[in-house]
Amino acid sequence: MSDLTVDVAVVGAGPAGLAAAVAAAEAGAVVAVVDAGTQTGGQFWRHRPETGDADPDGHGHHDWNTFLDLRRRFRAGIAAGRVHHLPGLQVWMASKNDVDGFTLRTTRTVVGGEGVTPTVHAARLVLCPGGYDRQLPVPGWDLPGVMAAGGIQAFIKANGALPGKRFVVAGTGPFLLPVAANIAEAGGEVLAVLESSSLSKWFPHWKAAASVPGKALEGAEYAGIFARHRIPYKTRSIVTAVSGTDRVQTVSWAKADADGRAIPGTGGRYEDVDVIGFGWGFTPQMELPLSFGVQTRLDADGSLVAVVDERQESSVPGLFLAGEVTGVGGAVLAVLEGKAAGTAAADASAVVLPADVLPAKEAARRDRHRRFAQAMHQAHPVPHAWQEWLTPETLVCRCEEVPVSEVTQARSTLGAEDSRSLKSFTRVGMGWCQGRVCGFAGSCLGAGPGEPAAAASLASAAKRPLAVPVPISELASLND
Amino acid sequence: MADLLPEHPDFLWRNPDPKPSYDAIIVGGGGHGLATAYYLAKHHGMTNIAILERGWLAGGNMARNTTIIRSNYLWDESAAIYEHSLRLWEALPDELEYDFLFSQRGVMNLAHTLQDVRESVRRVGANKLNGVDAEWLDADQVKELCPIINTSEDIRYPVLGATYQPRAGIAKHDHVAWAFARKADELGVDIIQNCEVTGFLKDGNRVVGVQTNRGTIHAGKVALCAAGHSSVLAKMAGFDLPIQSHPLQALVSELHEIVHPTVVMSNHVHVYVSQAHKGELVMGAGIDSYNGYGQRGGFHVIEEQMAAAVELFPVFSRAHLLRTWGGIVDVTLDASPIVGKSPVENLYVNCGWGTGGFKGTPGAGWTMAHTIATDEPHALNAPFALERFETGALIDEHGAAAVAH
Repeated sequence: MSDLTVDVAVVGAGPAGLAAAVAAAEAGAVVAVVDAGTQTGGQFWRHRPETGDADPDGHGHHDWNTFLDLRRRFRAGIAAGRVHHLPGLQVWMASKNDVDGFTLRTTRTVVGGEGVTPTVHAARLVLCPGGYDRQLPVPGWDLPGVMAAGGIQAFIKANGALPGKRFVVAGTGPFLLPVAANIAEAGGEVLAVLESSSLSKWFPHWKAAASVPGKALEGAEYAGIFARHRIPYKTRSIVTAVSGTDRVQTVSWAKADADGRAIPGTGGRYEDVDVIGFGWGFTPQMELPLSFGVQTRLDADGSLVAVVDERQESSVPGLFLAGEVTGVGGAVLAVLEGKAAGTAAADASAVVLPADVLPAKEAARRDRHRRFAQAMHQAHPVPHAWQEWLTPETLVCRCEEVPVSEVTQARSTLGAEDSRSLKSFTRVGMGWCQGRVCGFAGSCLGAGPGEPAAAASLASAAKRPLAVPVPISELASLND
Repeated sequence: MADLLPEHPDFLWRNPDPKPSYDAIIVGGGGHGLATAYYLAKHHGMTNIAILERGWLAGGNMARNTTIIRSNYLWDESAAIYEHSLRLWEALPDELEYDFLFSQRGVMNLAHTLQDVRESVRRVGANKLNGVDAEWLDADQVKELCPIINTSEDIRYPVLGATYQPRAGIAKHDHVAWAFARKADELGVDIIQNCEVTGFLKDGNRVVGVQTNRGTIHAGKVALCAAGHSSVLAKMAGFDLPIQSHPLQALVSELHEIVHPTVVMSNHVHVYVSQAHKGELVMGAGIDSYNGYGQRGGFHVIEEQMAAAVELFPVFSRAHLLRTWGGIVDVTLDASPIVGKSPVENLYVNCGWGTGGFKGTPGAGWTMAHTIATDEPHALNAPFALERFETGALIDEHGAAAVAH
């Protein structure tokens, strides 16, 4: 396979992408779905390999029936010839021109396959690339055994195994709960969940929270799991250092003030820790949307996200976006956005009305989830004073081993206040991750203590000709 | 691997405000401007001088090249100035007291066609007569020296041999800039960043200073070391420079074990590949044909180049490219630089180095310093005068410039 021409291309097969693909196909469009995963579900519904009869039962998952329903309809679309599923592929470059519409160039997620990877041409494009686990540097975070909270969860969901025995989960936000629950249910010991925020930060947002009762039910479910496994849940608590000789052994923690500053004389240490998982919310994967120059905004969680209309269309005609890239808000919201985006993208006339893409009831539900997401971001912010945790030696960029001292010096003496300049001076974000892990922290450090990362700085960390690393041979084959 | 690299500098130079006047002003704080200032202060006792940089130090092509250093150019004039430059390079780590990882790992220029072979053998002969270490390698010798090259006969551009310069190599570009900056600063040179020249003060046909976004600065002499932007500056000063600026792209992979022992360039297919000290593959492409100052280029150029790279180095086919960038090459119509006086008195020009700028850094600085201090070009840069485009005494280095421009 080399070239595929369809009505609608969808990037990503997580909650948003699956919903978009199903909606577009059911509206009559021929759809191609490019997904990094080898099977549908994305990060949220990542599961054991679908082999033979051993289909996963959805244990440890939420809205599993939604997934099963979407997957059934997705497979029906494949059977009807309207859906082309292209798994194990990532888009390394997306472009648009007036004659051919959108073009997606793909590369394999796993090195080793042979032959040419497909190029997808589509009249309209729906991008649902999801996000990365947001990470903040902390002394010792470069030791083996430090993982992203989502990384631990993906490990469990995909392999049914644990990356260690004794865990600490730290950061902020409701996502820490399912991660800890997954660990405990898989047989791991969770020494503590350290939440930097105070639950009282939810009080101003009780209306938004109450409007999405499902979330409260999830919370109650986690409370049950935490009680059953005796998992301590400590609010206003942060990790101050991770230490060990060759890998993680000790996690030091402290109580934090309202700005997230460690309070001296508080806290303690967890010893013999195998894995510490950090999660500070999510950073939307903006490489592809930015490559089209979409209009963006800063969301309440400090992330750069794309602006879309009610039909999920971006400022670029024919380019629809759903899920994290329009604002992090969870899987239910992503499914609703995906459905709207897919339905709108299926319509070649481009005059489809908002009311036609999502029934009023679901549109209202989407709004409620968006309000809930805003409340969640405000209740679980990246701590204002997080930069005070760092020592001069703490690495900001683990790939290029750039310490905080170099970054702060470049800012204060060389005037490097954005990620692009910092990169030139210090090589922060220049390694294997290309800023996907350290870009947010680097942008914050460039802005200065207590300052939010500037939109332009976040954008320049994610704007690149190569959206993902691409093997030289695949570039070479384009020339044939 | 980080311990291989020198310490990141803390405060290598002051950050002074511009003084009202200087004996000489150098416009452009890239490698050439820094080297010019250093040699002016070191060899000619001119220390009341300033470098004006509109952005930040070494943020232009100095940060955007593939760091190859060699001197095997064809013509006597080019061989002389580049070989002088290479000799300066060899002494610089000690002289500047800074280990900028100058690695003389050799550079190969591959020959793929009969014309390539003839041209290369001729160039090796010319190089030897000019005292440049040059060798002609046949395909087997190429394979022996760089086992990862595909020397089979049935590829689109078979390797028929290569010129080889053992003393050539690579250096860590930003460290080179810091090394020059620190020494220049120690000698009293003011390095002034965020200072853009917006006009020239003239008394008749003599330059007497510059206007900048930080005020007027008087100067006895002014030197332009602004690469492609020199033509913009020259226009302000009242004359034209026959240079064009093209984007030239480069690419970097993730880290790999060190498997590439040398630097390989292929003029014919426009690809050059080396492996940096930490293990990244560093690759350069051919220029984009249009003119522009945008530090980016067309993707088709990269695609063509990668096809050539994979054929020559099958071992790299699964290496991932992480990032690409573009620099600007400022080229003249004979692919040789302009280093010397200008039509305006006391105004000196250094530009048009094309792809030779990084390797020419010390040579350009050394000869420019002589020219500025004595108001006469040195024998090494006299042939590179601007007037050659009127007299016709061109130095056609298109063949040896490695990337056609």
